Amino acid sequence: MSQSTNPTTQFQTDANRVTADDDRRSFLRSSLRGYQTTRTATQERFLNYESARIAAGDAKWEAIENLDIYLAQFADKLEARGATVHWCSDSNEARSAILNIIKEHDAKSVIKSKCMTTEEIHLNDLLEKEGFEVVESDLGEFIVQLREEAPYHFVFPAMHLKKEEINSLFQEKLKSINTNDPEELTMVAREVLREKYLSADIGISGANFGVAETGMISITENEGNARLTTSLPKVHIALMGIEKIIPKLEDLALMLPMLATAGTGQHLTCYNSQLGGPRQDDESDGPLEMHVVLLDNHRTRLLADPEQRDALRCIRCGACLNVCPIFKNVGGHTYGTTYQGPIGSVITPHLRGLKDWKHLSHSSSLCGACSETCPVKIDLHHHLLRNRRDAAGKGQGMLAEKILMFGFTIVMRRPWLYRLAGRLGKVGHVLTKPIHGTRIDPFYAWKKTRDLDDPAKQSFKQYWKSRK
Amino acid sequence: MSRDAILGRVREALSVKTDPHVREVVKKSSHSLPVLANGPDGRTQAVKEFLPFVGDSLEDHVAAFKVLSEKLQTEFIVVPTVDSARQALAQLRQAHQWERIGIHDNELVQSCVDQLQVEFLNTSSDYDSHALEKCDVGISGCDALIAQTASALVTNHSAGGRALSVLPPHHVVVADASQMVTTMADGFALIREKHHDNWPSFISFITGPSRTADIERVLVLGAHGPKKLTIIMISA
Ligand code: SF4
Repeated sequence: MSQSTNPTTQFQTDANRVTADDDRRSFLRSSLRGYQTTRTATQERFLNYESARIAAGDAKWEAIENLDIYLAQFADKLEARGATVHWCSDSNEARSAILNIIKEHDAKSVIKSKCMTTEEIHLNDLLEKEGFEVVESDLGEFIVQLREEAPYHFVFPAMHLKKEEINSLFQEKLKSINTNDPEELTMVAREVLREKYLSADIGISGANFGVAETGMISITENEGNARLTTSLPKVHIALMGIEKIIPKLEDLALMLPMLATAGTGQHLTCYNSQLGGPRQDDESDGPLEMHVVLLDNHRTRLLADPEQRDALRCIRCGACLNVCPIFKNVGGHTYGTTYQGPIGSVITPHLRGLKDWKHLSHSSSLCGACSETCPVKIDLHHHLLRNRRDAAGKGQGMLAEKILMFGFTIVMRRPWLYRLAGRLGKVGHVLTKPIHGTRIDPFYAWKKTRDLDDPAKQSFKQYWKSRK
Repeated sequence: MSRDAILGRVREALSVKTDPHVREVVKKSSHSLPVLANGPDGRTQAVKEFLPFVGDSLEDHVAAFKVLSEKLQTEFIVVPTVDSARQALAQLRQAHQWERIGIHDNELVQSCVDQLQVEFLNTSSDYDSHALEKCDVGISGCDALIAQTASALVTNHSAGGRALSVLPPHHVVVADASQMVTTMADGFALIREKHHDNWPSFISFITGPSRTADIERVLVLGAHGPKKLTIIMISA
C-alpha cells in the first residue's frame, strides 16, 4: 500500500499499479472462477435458493429494526450465564476494554482467530506496542500477519499470494523447509500454532452472529482454529459489532448454510459453534471467563439512515467482492479499508466519514452484480448511488465537475448551442489530433485511461433526417 | 453507562422508520416466489422447504448423509450393532496404531471402547490439555446427526467438553441411528428439549474434518483441527 495519507490519492495510485499487473490479475480471476463454480453447484442443490434469500434477509431485517430490544436481550442472557459484556462506543473504548482484561490477567501471549472487527479497531498494533505476543491462528491471517500487511479480502485474507511467495515467507520468518506444496506449507503453520494454543493465556475471537434469544455468539470457520482459541486459553474475549444480532437460535439453521454457500461455496463450513458463557459448573473444560465486547463505532450512525441501514444486515460472506469487476481489477489492498469491495464502499463512508471515502462509491460500474449475489439481498449498487447523491448534496463534488455540469446544463437547454458545440467539437477533435496522448492535451487526464474515437461523419440528427 | 448510551443511540436511530422503498426491494423482485411467514417459525420452515431436499425416511437420510460425507471426506461407517461398532473401532485402532485415546463418560462410547487395549484419557472431569494433545484420537458421542448437512451436532455434554473433538488429530463420533434428524433446526430443537433454558456453554455442528484452502485454493485437510473425522452409526 502506498504511504499517502489521502485515501483518494492512495486509491488512485494503488489502482493504477495493480491494474497494470496482468499476471496478478489473472491469478486472482482464476481463483474467483473456482469459487464461482463451487458456489453454483452448491446453490443448485437448494429447492429454492431465491426464497431462502428472502427468508434470510427477513431474519436480518427483523434483527436490525428491533436492534434495541434484541441487543438488550442478548446482553442480559449472556450475563446470566456468567459472561461479562462490555459496551463500547468507539475503537478507543473497545481497545482499552480488551487491554484491561489482558492486563488484569497478567497475560503474556494472546492467540486470535479471524476477526475483521479487530482489524477495524487496529487491535494488534496496540497489543504489540504494549509488549504482548499476538498470534493470528487462521492460516490466511497468519500469512498476512507474517508479511505485516492487511488482509486482502475479508474472507480470503491471503488470496493474492502464490504458494512460492508463501514458501519464501515461511523460510525467512519461520526457518521452515523449502516447499511449494500447499499441504506441507499448511502443516508448517499447524505445527507452529499448536504450541501457541496450549500456552496462550487469552483467546480472542470475533462472532458471525449473536443470538438474542439465548445469549450466544456463533462462530463460523473451517480450520478449527477458532474452536481451539475458544477452548484452551483461560480467558475468551469475543469482539462483535452490534449489528451481528439475530433473533432466535433456530434462525442459525438458515443463516449458517446461506453464509457458507455465498461465502465459499460450501454447503456448510466445517465448524459452526455457538458459545454462551464461560465453562459452567457441570462442564469439564472451556475458559473460566468469557468477555463479549460490543462495538458501536458509528454503526448507529448508519442505523440512523433510513435507506442505508439496509447495509447493517450484511453477514460478511464476501460474495459481493468475489463478483465485483472493480475488486477483480484493483484488488483488495487498494480500497485501504477493513471491509473491501462493494459492501466496504457502501459502509466505509458512514463509519469513517463521507468526505474521505466518497471516492469508493464512484469506483463502481453500477453493474449490480453485488446486489444480485448478496445472500440477504442488500441493495448494494443503489446504496453506492445514494452515497454519490449524498456527497453531491453536501457540496462535496469537485469544483471542476460543478463548472462542467453548469456549462452542460446551459448547452443542453439550447438546441442551437448544442448544434454549434457539436460542430466545434468535431473541428476541435481534428485540430487537436497532433497533441492527442501528450501532456499538453487539455483533456490528457481524462483520456489517459479512455479511448476517444473519431466522431461519426454523420450526426444522429442528420441520419434521422436522411432516413425519411 | 455506555450500555444506556448505545441503546439510546440505537433507539433514536430507529425512531425514523426504514424507507419503504428499500424494504420493498426484496419483495418486489420476487413477487412470484413462495415466501413464508416472517418470524422464526417461518425460518425453520424455510430450512425444510427451500434448502436441499434429503427425503423423509431414515433410509433417505442415511443415503444423503453418505453422499455428502464422501464429498467432505468424512469416513461414515454404518454398522448393525454395538458389537460391530466395537469391531470397527478395533480395526481403526489397528490401522492407525492408536496408543492413547481420549474418551468421556458416554454410555455408547464406553461400551464401544471397553475392549481396546490402549491408554485412556477421560475428559469428563478436569484433565490436562497437554495430555489430550498427545492422544491419537478423541472418541465422542453426539446429540444428533444432521441429514441435510452431514454434520454431527455436539455440545460439551455429549462430546466430553470443548476440546476432545478438536484437539487430537482424529475425531471419531459414535452415534445411534435414532439420532438422525433432517435439518439443523431439528438439531437445535433437540438440544432445547434436552436442556430447556440451561443451555450448554458450547454447541457445535461438525461437518467434515478440519480444512483450509487459504493457499491457492488448494484443499488441505487438518488445518488446525482433526485431519480425520470418522462417524460410526449403529443402525439397530
Ligand atoms: S453485502 Fe451481502 S454479499 Fe456483500 S458481504 Fe455482505 S452479505 Fe455478503
